[in-house]
Amino acid sequence: MDIQVSDVIVGLLMSVLGLIGLFMAAGATDDAIYVFGLSLAGFAVVFVLGLIRRHFDRQSGTMPKGTDYV
Amino acid sequence: MSDAAIQYNEDVVKKFVIAAIFWAVVAFLVGVVLAGQLAWPVANLGLPFTNFGRLRPVHTSAAIFAFGGSALFATSFYIVQRTCRARLFGGEALANFIFWGYQFFIVMAALSYVMGFSQGQEYAEPEWHLDLFLTLIWVLYGVVFIGTVLMRKEPHIYVANWFFIAMILTIAVLHLGNNSAMPVSLFTAKSYNVASGVQNAMIQWWYGHNAVGFFLTAGFLGMMYYFIPKASGRPIYSYRISIVHFWSLVFMYIWAGPHHLHYTALPDWTQTLGMAFSIMLWMPSWGGMINGIMTLSGAWDKLRTDAGLRFSVTAVGFYGMSTFEGPVMSIRGVNALSHYTDWGIGHVHSGALGWVAFISFGALYYLVPVLWKRERLYSQKLAAWHFWIATLGIVLYITSMWVAGIMQGLMWRAYDQFGFLQYSFSESVMAVHPYYVIRFTGGVFFLLGSLIMVYNMIQTVRSPTTARPAAEPQTGLPIGTAMAGA
Repeated sequence: MDIQVSDVIVGLLMSVLGLIGLFMAAGATDDAIYVFGLSLAGFAVVFVLGLIRRHFDRQSGTMPKGTDYV
Repeated sequence: MSDAAIQYNEDVVKKFVIAAIFWAVVAFLVGVVLAGQLAWPVANLGLPFTNFGRLRPVHTSAAIFAFGGSALFATSFYIVQRTCRARLFGGEALANFIFWGYQFFIVMAALSYVMGFSQGQEYAEPEWHLDLFLTLIWVLYGVVFIGTVLMRKEPHIYVANWFFIAMILTIAVLHLGNNSAMPVSLFTAKSYNVASGVQNAMIQWWYGHNAVGFFLTAGFLGMMYYFIPKASGRPIYSYRISIVHFWSLVFMYIWAGPHHLHYTALPDWTQTLGMAFSIMLWMPSWGGMINGIMTLSGAWDKLRTDAGLRFSVTAVGFYGMSTFEGPVMSIRGVNALSHYTDWGIGHVHSGALGWVAFISFGALYYLVPVLWKRERLYSQKLAAWHFWIATLGIVLYITSMWVAGIMQGLMWRAYDQFGFLQYSFSESVMAVHPYYVIRFTGGVFFLLGSLIMVYNMIQTVRSPTTARPAAEPQTGLPIGTAMAGA
């Protein structure tokens, strides 16, 4: 499996951010923290799914149209 | 190694270009709504989330950080790769995180403003949790940019990169300094700044003015030093001036903040220091302006045919004009008249619309055909229409604000023969109404121009008329050699 280092580091970072978001939303005392926490968790999930999708796109050689990265 | 051998990360540049265009329209639209609210207060609609107080930071953040920031990310990532002949450091995942993370920050910040959350620091309204998130994005941006510079295949660091590095480092320090605050709890969007009273004001304007100096000036000068030579096909007029410009600008700007606090509780000597350094800023600002404009020596004819270049060069003219006006307004006697009036709003917009937006439009008109591998822009005529409508919009905006501001200043200080104030505050509000309507009209013009740009950009990417002609068949060469581009 050819996994890029930056994918792993950013994936771990996003996982930590997502968990922080969930904790913040769980204990929120106002709307701003509640919305931020839930959105951060959602953002982290979508971003990590995107990392996984790009990894397999790279492996199968089916990159999304318009992308030019190696 | 030729440029063709290096596979640049253009994907993230494209994303930031699209974001910059999108946020430009949002910022101008909200600005027009706000101008309408000031002229006709009924446009506040009586709703908490549509009133001026909540929408104003949406406008400033959308203009400065969303539009300006996305344009800076796009151009800095484009420029650093090409001038260093190196792919972006950190891989595509990190670049993507910087893009999506920055957009996430913008949306969350805007949402928090309309919900009524603000820490009350101008241009730094987001509460502590958003500040921390932005710090993470900005540090990673620094890692990617400086990492790319360190991996460069060129021995020399091009001057545009010096300006971007100054922006990245200084904004990091400013952001951390001005947002040093203690949250009430980790689950509450409320914090208290470590500084209070006049110290807080001093730190706020040390941040506020240098956000202008290093984000809206240094970063965009990086743009100027790359795109004007590229679009005009001429080298920088004087590379030596550009270096002097850089060092004098970064040394002097950082001291100028106190001019925002004339006649306040701030010690007089601090106000004088800020004023003196503001006046000294004439030297680097005008040196840079002359350097940018004179780069066109021998290529002035291109202004007639290249509307993108026309935006860039006009931007440099506005840069010179607003950096002349700023030091004038920092003089204590002038400030006594201009402060708290609409003159300040006019000054800010001659810089924001004339300099920041125009230099960004010039870069965008250059970048879109290049990034999407198109032969040319869809329509130079539409770009010219954009240029003239936007220019007319700026002229309406800044002249109306000059008149309104000077009139307000004069009305507020007028005394009658008995020593009483001649005008009530409400009379000065009524007197400026026609100028607020003119300002609104100017804003509509500027917004219309940006919509023309959006159409032109979409057509540039999509229209078959802009497609690059298919390469001629390389008869006579072996297939392998032709494919390798030999």
